[in-house]
Amino acid sequence: MATNAHAEGEGRQPIVAHHFNNIRQQQASVRFGMWVFLVTEVLFFGGVLCAYAACRIWYPKEFEAGSTALNPFIASINTFLLLSSSFTITLAIRAAYKGQRDGLRLWLASTIVLGTVFLGFKAKEYYGDYEEGLIPGPQKTLVDDVDATGKPVLREVSVFAVNLKHVLEHKNAKAKAISDKMTWNERDRTQMFFVFYYSITGLHVIHMIVGLGLLVWQLILAQIGFFEPTERHVYIEVMSLYWHFVDLVWIFLFPLLYMAGHHSMDGAF
Amino acid sequence: MSEHVQKPIVFEDDHAEPASVASSTLTFLFLAGLACLAMMIGFTDLGPAKVWVSLGVASVQGLVLTLFFMDLRHADKLTWLTAMAAVFWTFLLFLFTLTDYLTRHYYAF
Amino acid sequence: MATTHAPATTPTTLELDYTPQTAPPVVDVDGPPKVHYLNHSFGWLSWLLTVDHKRIGILYLIPLTIFFMCGGIAAGLVRLNLIQPYGAILELDQYNKAFTAHGTIMLFLFLIPVIPGVLGNFFVPMMIGAKDMAFPKLNLASWYVWMGGAMFFIAALLFGGLDTGWTFYPPYSSKYSHTNVIWAGLGVFITGFSSILTGLNIIATVHKMRAPGMTWGRLPLFVWAMYATSVIQILATPVLAMAVCLLATERIFGVGIFDPSLGGDPLLFQHLFWYYSHPAVYIMILPGMGVINEVITCFSRKNIFGYKAVAWSSVGIAVVGFLVWGHHMFLSGQGVYLGMVFSVLTMLVAIPSAVKVFNWTATFYGGQITFEAPMLFTIGFIVLFTIGGLTGLFLGILGTDIHLHDTYFVIAHFHFTMVGGMMFAWQAGLHFYWPKMTGKMYSDFWSRLAAVIMLVGFSLTFLPQFVAGYHGLPRRYPYYPVEFQMMNILSTAGATIQGFGYLMPAVYLPLSLFFGRNAGANPWRATGLEWQTPSPPTMHNFEELPIVTHGPYEYALPSKFTLEDGHAHETKGGNGGH
Ligand code: HEM
Ligand SMILES: [Cu+2]
Repeated sequence: MATNAHAEGEGRQPIVAHHFNNIRQQQASVRFGMWVFLVTEVLFFGGVLCAYAACRIWYPKEFEAGSTALNPFIASINTFLLLSSSFTITLAIRAAYKGQRDGLRLWLASTIVLGTVFLGFKAKEYYGDYEEGLIPGPQKTLVDDVDATGKPVLREVSVFAVNLKHVLEHKNAKAKAISDKMTWNERDRTQMFFVFYYSITGLHVIHMIVGLGLLVWQLILAQIGFFEPTERHVYIEVMSLYWHFVDLVWIFLFPLLYMAGHHSMDGAF
Repeated sequence: MSEHVQKPIVFEDDHAEPASVASSTLTFLFLAGLACLAMMIGFTDLGPAKVWVSLGVASVQGLVLTLFFMDLRHADKLTWLTAMAAVFWTFLLFLFTLTDYLTRHYYAF
Repeated sequence: MATTHAPATTPTTLELDYTPQTAPPVVDVDGPPKVHYLNHSFGWLSWLLTVDHKRIGILYLIPLTIFFMCGGIAAGLVRLNLIQPYGAILELDQYNKAFTAHGTIMLFLFLIPVIPGVLGNFFVPMMIGAKDMAFPKLNLASWYVWMGGAMFFIAALLFGGLDTGWTFYPPYSSKYSHTNVIWAGLGVFITGFSSILTGLNIIATVHKMRAPGMTWGRLPLFVWAMYATSVIQILATPVLAMAVCLLATERIFGVGIFDPSLGGDPLLFQHLFWYYSHPAVYIMILPGMGVINEVITCFSRKNIFGYKAVAWSSVGIAVVGFLVWGHHMFLSGQGVYLGMVFSVLTMLVAIPSAVKVFNWTATFYGGQITFEAPMLFTIGFIVLFTIGGLTGLFLGILGTDIHLHDTYFVIAHFHFTMVGGMMFAWQAGLHFYWPKMTGKMYSDFWSRLAAVIMLVGFSLTFLPQFVAGYHGLPRRYPYYPVEFQMMNILSTAGATIQGFGYLMPAVYLPLSLFFGRNAGANPWRATGLEWQTPSPPTMHNFEELPIVTHGPYEYALPSKFTLEDGHAHETKGGNGGH
């Protein structure tokens, strides 16, 4: 019945762990385990996206303005980077399956490079936001405003709101139009969009970093010949499931965060 | 014990040869094309429809990604069940929570 | 009754094994194995680095017991304070911290991990005939994560405390709390991660590691219950994690997602929180229900009544449990029509629970019932849980909940389900499996006495709270009108008795390790696979891959000697009297 395939792999570890009966059982368990883990990941991001949706229902204008203030170009480049990395990791599975050591290392390394470049761009984007002062926080400042009767008054608003106004007015004509229609209260509340923006992309970045760490580890393993017994291609496959998931999240973040506002190509160059 | 015929441990065949290079390339190109489409939508003014259209494109992208890159199309029933569970329970979360936000202003009297 | 089990054609000379187990057999024929999982290696490291699911189960048991005591002490403080209308011993903020410590420790550090961590780890692989969990290293990692999170959490409680209540509602937890909300939230996040990993492991184990012949229809119902629990754990916990993340973000950056003065919505937190926490109450009860199936069948010497119904009701609870969370928010300002929908759906969730209760009582019917300690706890469970579940319906009805919400009625309701339910089930499981886990038998007399004392203490504590709550005594208030003093004193007296009850197993169970007699492989003459191993089990549970040919509760089958005659195949372990 249960064939005990305790074949020795490279190194000392047997391919089939002691508590499994055969390689098929082990592979099936590993694969299934990752799918179940991804379910929890879906609900994790589902939670924050649900909060996002609820808030956007209440404050559509603020979300539009917030998204308009973001940089859509870096995000677009990043989309393609991530899709390409999904592509390369798929090729890595095939290489591992076919026992092509060099191919495996090549495709793992390209995936790592693409992922790292993504993070580099992301860092640049965060830095740009920081420079523009688009960081939510409790700091306040005074601005000139008019009250209901048209009398000029001093008004306490968040520093963020002032920065947002500035960014939108200097972006392009459409952004300026959006900004002009906003009250100070609305500018203040746009912080909410940015809380979501930072927390969701931040979580995504953390997932990327974890993924890159695992990929580097697998690259080292590939180097020492761990994947020589081709049965072990299942670990690359499972890694790719995680990586594709990270890509999948980004696919939804792109329209929800970056493309929720008005962008035009004018500001591009 | 004739009625208890012993079956060996068999796992449903959840195993398939990884996609060929050509098919992966095709998938990638398709996804990249959809990404271009998503960008184009992002840069045009569609009013309130924009979010739905772009979410639609994202869903197609996600579907292609799961079916082809994550190889769900070759997966066994259990994996399908798992993936569907994720979608369904996320749907439940959205369903009730957003119902609250969309109906809270109605009074019962 | 007994003779009707066998088919009419059975020769009268057939020897059937219906021996009532009033007392476990005194002599251990086999004796414990020389090398078993406890003594095959020694030293701290052999425990801290183990990947053996049985040792990991024991690793959970010890800190869990300590956390239970911590939570108990906090409860004692709360109850003591309440014997006087204006507070007997605690300052106001101390009172807040005490009931928060009680609630959070008991829920996050005890009730949620207790049965999955200890009995789930230990017995799920054994019950399905596996050598270990699907991912043994992940299992150990999960323990470390849990310990880390728990230490974190305890530290947050000790240094600065937490005063939000276990529900962490903003703005109590955002604007108006000067306590360690972020650290405690991080603790919840980390322990939640451990809960997810354990659930994942159990799901993968049940799907992929079953021995040949162990079909879904032959799984012990404990495994079904653990499976359903794990499904809830992996689907619900991430959302709680996200809720506390957002809460921490809000506190750290001083921005509003939940704070209405900054445009946020406190109900948003409640939605995310209860999306997890209502299903979580089933994380707390389902494993207990699983244990009850094993104990009831064993001490009634009968197959479970309606195996399929009981098995699927676990799954039903897991699914429907996700559709009702709004019943905690009827009065919070959530949409009224949504409240009505939730009220109706809440009625639905009582159905699978009731299916279980009916099937258990039907299992009693015609059984050869004996009253060892596990069975006493089980009977306590059924009675108390039924009361808890039925009062849940009072609360689930929109109209009555307006009167009862946030009163002691709610407190009594959930203590009947969680203490009367899960705590009693845990005791039943611990007493049932102790001989298997340690190879030793504890004192019959003291264990039965403990069960009775716990039951008396419990009823005295929580029955008065129904009355007080019905008359309007609100929960979480340190002060109360004098006319409620009698009720509170009764409660505190009951709590004291209960406390003694819980201390008793903490004494006689450890003592049994040194003075108890050898339990033997199968002291209760139970039928599950786990009992076919020696006690304590050996390293890999089964010397050879077990092959399963029948269901888990075939108590009505003739003994194995008669089976070899080839006569009794047709008996399907029928359900006792016809
Ligand atoms: C039979 C099905 C059940 C129904 C219909 C039910 C219904 C309810 C309702 C409507 C409430 C909200 C009361 C209020 O705040 O006004 C509630 C509270 C609660 N229930 Fe249940 N319940 C059931 C079973 C359980 C079980 C099995 C457990 C735990 C093992 C449980 C634990 C709790 C807890 C902890 C609370 C209080 C939460 C808080 O702190 O506000 N319930 N229940
Ligand atoms: Cu509930």
